[in-house]
Amino acid sequence: MGMLILIAYRNLVQARRRTLLLSAAIGLVTTLLVLLLSLSQGISDNLVKSATTLSAGHVVVAGFFKPSPSQAIPMVTDAGKVRAVIEKETPNLDYIIARGRGWGKIVGPGGTVQTGLSGVTLVNEPRFVATLQLAEQLEYKEGGEARILGDSTRIGSPGSVILFANQAKRLEVDVGDAVTFITETNDGRTNTIDLTVVAVARDLGMLSSWSVLVNMESLRKVYKLSDDTTGAFWVYVKDIDKADEVMNGLRVSLAQAGFQLMDHDPNPFFFKFETVAGEDWTGQKLDVTIWRDEVSFLVKILDAFDLVTVFISAVLLIIIAIGISNTMFNTVRERTREIGTMRAIGIQRGSVLLLFLLEASLLGLFATTVGAVAGAALSVGIDLAAFPVPIPALKAILLSDTVHMTVRLSTLLMSVVFLTVCTGLAALWPSFRAARMRPIVALGYVS
Amino acid sequence: MPAIVELNNVVKEYPLGKLVVTALHDVSIAITKGEFTAIAGPSGSGKTTILNMIGCMDVPTTGTVKIDGTLTNNLDDHALTTLRLNRIGFIFQSFNLVNVLDVRQNVEFPLLLQGKLSSKDRKLRVEEMVEKVGLTKQMTQRPNELSGGQRQRVAIARALVTNPAIVLADEPTANLDSTTGHAIIELMRDLNANDHTTFIFSTHDPKVMERATRLIMVADGKVV
Ligand SMILES: Nc1ncnc2c1ncn2[C@@H]1O[C@H](COP(=O)(O)OP(=O)(O)O)[C@@H](O)[C@H]1O
Ligand SMILES: [Mg+2]
Repeated sequence: MGMLILIAYRNLVQARRRTLLLSAAIGLVTTLLVLLLSLSQGISDNLVKSATTLSAGHVVVAGFFKPSPSQAIPMVTDAGKVRAVIEKETPNLDYIIARGRGWGKIVGPGGTVQTGLSGVTLVNEPRFVATLQLAEQLEYKEGGEARILGDSTRIGSPGSVILFANQAKRLEVDVGDAVTFITETNDGRTNTIDLTVVAVARDLGMLSSWSVLVNMESLRKVYKLSDDTTGAFWVYVKDIDKADEVMNGLRVSLAQAGFQLMDHDPNPFFFKFETVAGEDWTGQKLDVTIWRDEVSFLVKILDAFDLVTVFISAVLLIIIAIGISNTMFNTVRERTREIGTMRAIGIQRGSVLLLFLLEASLLGLFATTVGAVAGAALSVGIDLAAFPVPIPALKAILLSDTVHMTVRLSTLLMSVVFLTVCTGLAALWPSFRAARMRPIVALGYVS
Repeated sequence: MPAIVELNNVVKEYPLGKLVVTALHDVSIAITKGEFTAIAGPSGSGKTTILNMIGCMDVPTTGTVKIDGTLTNNLDDHALTTLRLNRIGFIFQSFNLVNVLDVRQNVEFPLLLQGKLSSKDRKLRVEEMVEKVGLTKQMTQRPNELSGGQRQRVAIARALVTNPAIVLADEPTANLDSTTGHAIIELMRDLNANDHTTFIFSTHDPKVMERATRLIMVADGKVV
């Protein structure tokens, strides 16, 4: 085996030009794959970040209250008791946020935006309010200054709202201006409330088009909610990867505590109004989901991106595989006499097969390693450069204003192993051809 | 003494398109251990085909081949390969060394395939063989750094390193000038005389034939 590796290695060195050419091709594909995967991972990170900031906790305990069979209100009654169960039954709980939920139109001088409302109680989540990144005026107002005008902590006062930059731009409002929120209340009538913009937050991807933060008391007032209700509990745990487990655990615990639960439906709550309104029950049912469910429509975008990645990689891989296969056929042809000699001396067919597979795999390992390192370096560079995304549609897909890429060691290792194996597989046919050659034919004694 | 090589009524046919070429017509040969046998004859007479039969590189169409007591007719590729590895050494007309390996590694190669010796014993055996062919100084050189005669010496060392029962050489001097060719035959003759290794080689050079202890003449696929 050692000798076979040596022969394979030295033949690669001997055919330096061919080796380098093929390595360059394989390396480029590896680099591209690493770039695409790092971009995908970056988008995924953006998604997690914006989803768990704007739309959900790691796990969400929400629900619908139905005063009559045909009405569905997105709220949790008996909120104190529900919170107690969550606090007691969530392993590795980090913290819980209670958010009010609403859905309606905001009207300003420039137009109207359809959006969800998140009711914020400042004393409950000072950390979130403090870390919310505010936009400079020029980000939402033409001819604006490079200066932050608002103050997010003023969300604590009644009648206040924090918009995102894209909304402020469309509504043509600035900090201090008034907007009107119009919604349908629980009893089926339209209600409106005037709100004052206290801050404009920096956009957090696509989700920030459909979300505004509003003072919780004002939300209660619009929807005429009692104190022991909330829209949803956003539950944060120490390890987001355990979210599924925690969700399933909470479903059991809440059911045991006597609450009615909706079946798990992996979609955001605003997709569920019609279904729930069409069901034949009244009273309260809880809906337990995880963050991914609340942004399922964005997860689909990410899946589509991954599909494109897979497709591009597959096409390139096929082209490269044909190149590798072709080159190996040439190698085998050139070394026919050597194969015959070794077979005469007493090497078995299997070892000849191994010899050529080793040669291809060695080449693959070298090329993919270099390619993966280059891909990682490029990804880190692009991420650090924080290129602004120029096209709004692309911003929506990338879920960020700048290109964010995340390089993971596992991604690199996977790419190297996967593409090396592919290189080996591409060499399988020519290697078999080499192994099957009869020694007298290979030695040229017989045609 | 029992024969180490026994060909009995060997017929070898090659398909050539729709025709069949008969390379050997009813050849019977017996060779005993320690002989230094030359198979001589004009080009196309069947010398290579005979060596291929003896070397277990191919099996006859009819008739039997017995090598060191083993009938080759019904052996599969794996068994024939094992037989070649353990019983037969090959020397080729155009040397056929592995280009990317140096002298030491080329000679060591069959021992590695056999996997019988420890690395220390292998090293000793390789050094002993390389010394016998007079290339100790060239130990770490690659074939392309050697002359034709030196390359054939490496090939001889490689063929003999496993102590095979039979060493086959198909026109070993055909690619060498006459002086060098002569030296190669003398080297083979010495190894034959000292170690009693059985050598069978083909040639159409009368000077080379002279050195043989036994001469088998072939013409048109028949022993004459
Ligand atoms: N694969 C083959 N197909 C057809 N004829 C062959 C083949 N191999 C050898 N022959 C024929 O067999 C005969 C003997 O060939 P060979 O053993 O190579 O002779 P030599 O080595 O004495 O020159 C020749 O007539 C040659 O043309
Ligand atoms: Mg011949």
